[in-house]
Amino acid sequence: MIDLAIRILIYGAVVSGIWALVASGFTLIFGVARILNFAHGTFFVLAAYLGIVMVSSGVNPYLATLLSIVLVGFFAVAIYALLLSRIREHEVMVIIATLALALLVEQVLLLIFGEHGISYPSLITGVLRLGGTPITLKRIAAFVIAIIVIVLLELFINRTRLGKMISAASQNFEGAMLVGLDVEKLFRVTMFISAVLAGIGGILYTQIFAATPIAAVKSLIFAFAIVILGGLGSVRGSIIAAFIVGYILTITINLFGARWSEFVALLFIIGILIVKPTGLFGVEE
Amino acid sequence: MKVSEMREIGLKKLTSILILLLMAVVAPLVLPEAFVYLLGLALLFLILVISWDVIVGYTGQVNLGHTVFVGLGAYTAALLQVPSRFSGTIDFLASLPSPPPVVSILAGGIVAAIFGLIIGVITLRLKGYYFALVTAILPLVFMQTVFVFSSIFGGEEGFSIGLERSLAASTTLRYYYALVILIVSFIIIRFILNSEIGLRFRAVRDDEELAEAIGIDVVRYKVLSFVISSFFAGIGGAAIVHYRITVSPDLYDIPLMLLIILAAVIGGLGTLYGPLFGGLIIYLLKNWWLKGVVMTLPEWLPINDEVILYIILIAIAVLAPEGIWDKVKNILETASLRTSKSS
Repeated sequence: MIDLAIRILIYGAVVSGIWALVASGFTLIFGVARILNFAHGTFFVLAAYLGIVMVSSGVNPYLATLLSIVLVGFFAVAIYALLLSRIREHEVMVIIATLALALLVEQVLLLIFGEHGISYPSLITGVLRLGGTPITLKRIAAFVIAIIVIVLLELFINRTRLGKMISAASQNFEGAMLVGLDVEKLFRVTMFISAVLAGIGGILYTQIFAATPIAAVKSLIFAFAIVILGGLGSVRGSIIAAFIVGYILTITINLFGARWSEFVALLFIIGILIVKPTGLFGVEE
Repeated sequence: MKVSEMREIGLKKLTSILILLLMAVVAPLVLPEAFVYLLGLALLFLILVISWDVIVGYTGQVNLGHTVFVGLGAYTAALLQVPSRFSGTIDFLASLPSPPPVVSILAGGIVAAIFGLIIGVITLRLKGYYFALVTAILPLVFMQTVFVFSSIFGGEEGFSIGLERSLAASTTLRYYYALVILIVSFIIIRFILNSEIGLRFRAVRDDEELAEAIGIDVVRYKVLSFVISSFFAGIGGAAIVHYRITVSPDLYDIPLMLLIILAAVIGGLGTLYGPLFGGLIIYLLKNWWLKGVVMTLPEWLPINDEVILYIILIAIAVLAPEGIWDKVKNILETASLRTSKSS
């Protein structure tokens, strides 16, 4: 019983930290550019597969991890510049194009790697015993890294000039343009950060679990649940919501089995929508 | 526009509809059987496309979960035909007699509409973004039911309802049934959209606040539109099961959703006729032509028919975000304007 409690406590924290990264990236680009990016999960899996390919072809694992995260960031900027910047005004088309992109990448990954999961090469090995419960060090590292990245993100948005500009653009787009901010540049920077957050999340996740092509779409479900609870556009809301959703999912998986996790996520979303349709910290549209 | 011109256009429209109908009726007599089978499936696919256009194109609500209702209709019809799948779980249902196809197709529509009502009431009070997010998740969740309760729904493989319970034994006859179901659905949807109700749908789409101001209960009309759309998606799903005699989770899945979106976007949202053509082209393109093209590509290339479709969809989204139909119409109009000016 205590064993189970410890496991839920720790596993829940790890999963919550990872989802917090993914969801805050998703909500960030929505808050700033009003882009509902259905391809956000693609950055999540792409970073993992890039890293796996690089490591297996002999690149140093740490370097490969860093490179794949940065590459995914640039990939996202390219997607923005070539695709999204042209159709940003057509909200429906943004959704359709990014959804199509997500499925496109999923199919290509399926054709190259097959449907079976591939684990990300371990960056950290070792096991820690917590009162008889073995916890792998990579889980603890994943949690620590996630928290560090979240703190850095908060500091970036609230303390740096660029971060404040991004925050300003998300609060009042026209106002930001009026005071002379280069909004297009801000969007590209935000897209980069958003994808990097997803990429880090993806690598941390596939360290513990495995990378599968369909993880792109599946990770979106949980990101959506978190974002709906936290309120679209609120990074802080997403981080708090990630821990709520993360723990609910961990408890569900540990007590009833993984196949119920989607149901619970959905029931949870419906519950929130009935009680508080704009989430905990939603921005006004 | 003068009255005589309008009459002329009406006449043109009528003749083109008649020609199309004639083609649809003659098609199975001249085409090979395998193609007729595919064409029949394409006709049923069109029901899914035009019903999606009702909520998205005419009412302006981005519903990404249309396949939920397709799947609900499909599994409802299939389980009504093979109630023995319930034995061991819900035994009293297992001994029910299986109804004629018409009943189970209608039941598919009704079950889908009931779910549409429940989901719509919860989600359509929200702003557009939330509606899109929630509906995007729905297919994945409903698909999960198929795996969790696999003794009833048959899991990944699905199950067959048996040839004796299909629409008809011969392919040609089945094709004609599909055509009839499509035409009836189309006429009813067109009737609704051209009525006072359809006018209100469009008012909600064009300007929600204005619609509210002139006394339209916006949420109620969104829900009504969603229920109508779901009903026909369910009819389509159920009819597909009776046509191809198998049911499987692909009817819930996102690739089908994307195919519907692609068809409607190519045809032009909110035009009803456009998605009809878009749907026919896209379905045949994917299932007849693209499969052949992919075969000719070298093995190592990570490209299949779906990849090509998604590339097309992204290209269309970038090049003609307001829809191909509008683009073509604009080009034609400017062209005809030029000719009328020069003459």
